[in-house]
Amino acid sequence: MDTLNELLNGFAAAMTWQNLLFAFLGCLLGTIIGVLPGIGPVAGVALLIPLTLNMDATGAIIMLCAIFYGTAYGGTITSVLLNTPGEAASAITTIDGYAMTKIGKAGAALTIAAVGSFVGGTIATLGLVAAAKPLGELGLLVGPPEFFALMVVGISLLVALAGKSMVKAVISGALGLLISMVGIDPVAGAPRFTFGMDRLLDGVSFVAVIVGVFGLSELLSYRKGDQPAAVHAPNLRSLLPTGKEWLRSAPAMARGTGIGFGLGLIPGMTGSVSSLLSYGAEKKFSRNRHQLGKGAIEGVAGPETANNAHANAALIPLFTLGIPASPTIAVLMGAFLQQGLTPGPTLFTENSEIAWAIIASLFIGNLILLLLNVPLVGLWTSILRVPSSILTALILLFMVIGAYTINFSVFDVFVMIGFGLLGLALRHLDIPLAPMVLTLVLGPLMERSLRESLEISQGDFSIFTSRPISAVLIGLGLLIVFSPLLKLRKPKALNEDPET
Amino acid sequence: MTTESVTSPPGTGKTARVAPTVLAGIGAFAAVGVYVLVSSISLGLWTSLGPGPGLFPFAMGAVLAAMALLWLLQELRNPSETAAGVDRGLVIAVVVSLVLLAAVMDLIGFQLSMFAFLLYHLKVRGRRTWVSSLIIAVAGSFGAFYAFNYGLNVALPVSTIPFLNAIGL
Amino acid sequence: MKTRLRLAAALAAASLIGLTGCGANPGATGAAGAASDFPKKGKSIDLIVAFGSGGAVDTAARLIQPVLEKELGTNVEVINKPGAGGQIGYTQLTSAKPDGYTIGATGSPSVVVSPLDPSRGAKYTRESFQPLGRQVIDPTVIAVQPDSPYKTIKDLLDAAKANPKSMTASTTGLQTGEHFALAQLQENTGAEFAPVHFSEGASQATTAFLGRHVDVLVANVSDVNDLSKQGKARVLGVMSAERAPSLPDIPTFKESGYDLTAGTARGYSAPAGLPEDVAKKLEAAIEKAIEDPAVVQKMKDLGLQTSYLNGADYKTFWAGQEEDFKEVLPLVQKKD
Repeated sequence: MDTLNELLNGFAAAMTWQNLLFAFLGCLLGTIIGVLPGIGPVAGVALLIPLTLNMDATGAIIMLCAIFYGTAYGGTITSVLLNTPGEAASAITTIDGYAMTKIGKAGAALTIAAVGSFVGGTIATLGLVAAAKPLGELGLLVGPPEFFALMVVGISLLVALAGKSMVKAVISGALGLLISMVGIDPVAGAPRFTFGMDRLLDGVSFVAVIVGVFGLSELLSYRKGDQPAAVHAPNLRSLLPTGKEWLRSAPAMARGTGIGFGLGLIPGMTGSVSSLLSYGAEKKFSRNRHQLGKGAIEGVAGPETANNAHANAALIPLFTLGIPASPTIAVLMGAFLQQGLTPGPTLFTENSEIAWAIIASLFIGNLILLLLNVPLVGLWTSILRVPSSILTALILLFMVIGAYTINFSVFDVFVMIGFGLLGLALRHLDIPLAPMVLTLVLGPLMERSLRESLEISQGDFSIFTSRPISAVLIGLGLLIVFSPLLKLRKPKALNEDPET
Repeated sequence: MTTESVTSPPGTGKTARVAPTVLAGIGAFAAVGVYVLVSSISLGLWTSLGPGPGLFPFAMGAVLAAMALLWLLQELRNPSETAAGVDRGLVIAVVVSLVLLAAVMDLIGFQLSMFAFLLYHLKVRGRRTWVSSLIIAVAGSFGAFYAFNYGLNVALPVSTIPFLNAIGL
Repeated sequence: MKTRLRLAAALAAASLIGLTGCGANPGATGAAGAASDFPKKGKSIDLIVAFGSGGAVDTAARLIQPVLEKELGTNVEVINKPGAGGQIGYTQLTSAKPDGYTIGATGSPSVVVSPLDPSRGAKYTRESFQPLGRQVIDPTVIAVQPDSPYKTIKDLLDAAKANPKSMTASTTGLQTGEHFALAQLQENTGAEFAPVHFSEGASQATTAFLGRHVDVLVANVSDVNDLSKQGKARVLGVMSAERAPSLPDIPTFKESGYDLTAGTARGYSAPAGLPEDVAKKLEAAIEKAIEDPAVVQKMKDLGLQTSYLNGADYKTFWAGQEEDFKEVLPLVQKKD
């Protein structure tokens, strides 16, 4: 009952009007980011971090979490109405979602998607509640060598799953680690790779790097003809699904929750894998499988539920182990660190009040998302009518303000531009960006635990294999990287996923 | 560091050859790797106090250089197709305008520089009408400045030129 | 249709802008703006803690924070900037504008020593800080696991002498108070431990000790106060002249036959160059906060005795510490 008590306290802490406002604004902004073409969830969350830097830790994290799963829903809207996914995880929804729009059922599709997101998200958060305590208590077993080994597993999963070439994924990961090393050495205090610039002593600003690599480079890699198609505004009277549609959606949502929750726990899996697999499951198991592709409600309910269950379940490894499961989560983790909170086993011992308040706010946020999206569908569609040249200018404006306000310095704007070009080069060379974000965040933690481990063993590298937990983890990491089996089974969808 | 690969022309399509941009990229990664390797030795791999500041960078530099080599071998055996070329006009326009904006922002202040920047993107590049360009540019520069500065206590830079500064820009 | 489009764009922009307002902003005005109207209403003051959350420095800062807010009439945000044994946070503190909107917790020896060792390349010196007030001196203690065979400090040191480097001992980072204490102990007694530097601070070191990843915990009284009561650590000795009031049964090192005292002195400082009236206001507020009876009592519960010094005296104390630590610095420097 301890857990229930702490969760209730968390609700009490999360229910202040400021925090509710943050959750609301987060959902709103997240949805806008999801709707807007050209600004993905990774860059979107990163761009909004500077706005939260001055807020207290609880409010800031609540808002960023809300932004995070708001994006998961926002992408749905464009998929259904425009046949253009706002983010990769909603790509599969276009098939039946847009088909439903064409037969005048856009409202029902969007409502079911919102309800499905709510169901999936809430159940996944319940999973987080159940897992938090037991996993958190394992925390003390995780010493520096185990922590290092855990991160090795996380990175190897991402390397093995990201993109077509493992060599390129490793290059991306190494680049992220090198960028994270710029600044004062976190152990001995010596400046590294600062090229004599005092500005770099505090390291390269994480936010400027992410906004550059993900946001600016995406904008730069735009080509003519990437414009969205015409909008079919939904008939508001069609917002409510019929009773039969509800009945058909329920089993699809159940399957979607299971798939999204399971895959969300695995680092390296992105939401698009969950939604794809969920669509596949509907094709196989749904009673109306022959209608899929022609506007079947299951084709929306399943993937959208899976997508949000995934997004929320992915927070479990972050909260309990400190391992970010996807690039967006890595950005979220960066925000945690900037607030002085280290996600992972110690979060529940050292900052348990904040941790539970955030968990409680996840429930609230899922509810807000539901309440927000059903009535505002009309508004979202009108954003899509803003011409792309105006959007580009406004996005650039926010990127510049965002980068500038990190340290109130033009230097960070230049950093953002430089990393925008680097990101463009990496995209051009077909190098996946996800491992880089992950290692950028994990770099300092990884280096510290490596050096602490070697201090404990007095220089003996065998410490990583002589301690049972870390030995198993390191073995697992090697298996993941070198197992040809896994490579064969790698879901094709990952290769087309721009997020990886 | 690897930006040169952006501006050089995309692969010319001869099947059995490694695309020049890919070669440039590999070269850049190898160079960065070697640079890190060398400089981390001077940082100290191991000191009398334990693992030194250079240990982790050394490992990463080695990984980067090794991967660049491996990639080169892969390319030589089986050249990859490079991704479709970028819209160079767009890249140059956005990057140059951003660099100019950042370069003059501290000098002439946020409002003037952002106004010009937005106007360029809306009117010159976006071909919006004068009316909508001006409205959005004013809102995004002067409007944003006042909203951030006075409403929210977030100081966007003002001009360091005394005359401009005196009139509130 | 057009108006709807504008509406949407305006909403997007407005909500973004609205957000920025949710936190007031630090470091926004130039130094010129910081005058007698300090602190401006709605403009928050950052209190940089150079160690991770949960440690003694962090706890003390969070204790005085509400009183500071009341005294100064504005928000005070505690910001953790851990790393490199405090150096990362100190660098940020000293590179902030001296306008009073950025202050920081400073602890010696870490803040005193980091600029003395050229290999650290610290960008600040003693002169980069403007001391505002000292809060406590927290004596160093040595503790072992509760089921350890060593019951006294002598047992432990003899064992470490017989088998050099057979036991690991935590510090809160290179050249921090704990590292100095450990080095001096080794120098004076000939015992040898294998130091493990947890550069984010005491909370991280304590967690590792509780998980039995290190054998010996070198920490401050406040860090082990609770652990000792809960039987999770066996404290062997306190490095102060007299026994610590919160640990009355634990002998001092002197009682055990080793003439050694060590501890961490903590206070608050601003970047040098503060306008005089701003400095006065901050100093007064910090004095009120440190000597606030409720704060003093809470510090006592943590095992800490408040020993306030005003800015000028803290400055003198700081200079004295610098002299002392210069002598023992070679013990904790790398030797190649």
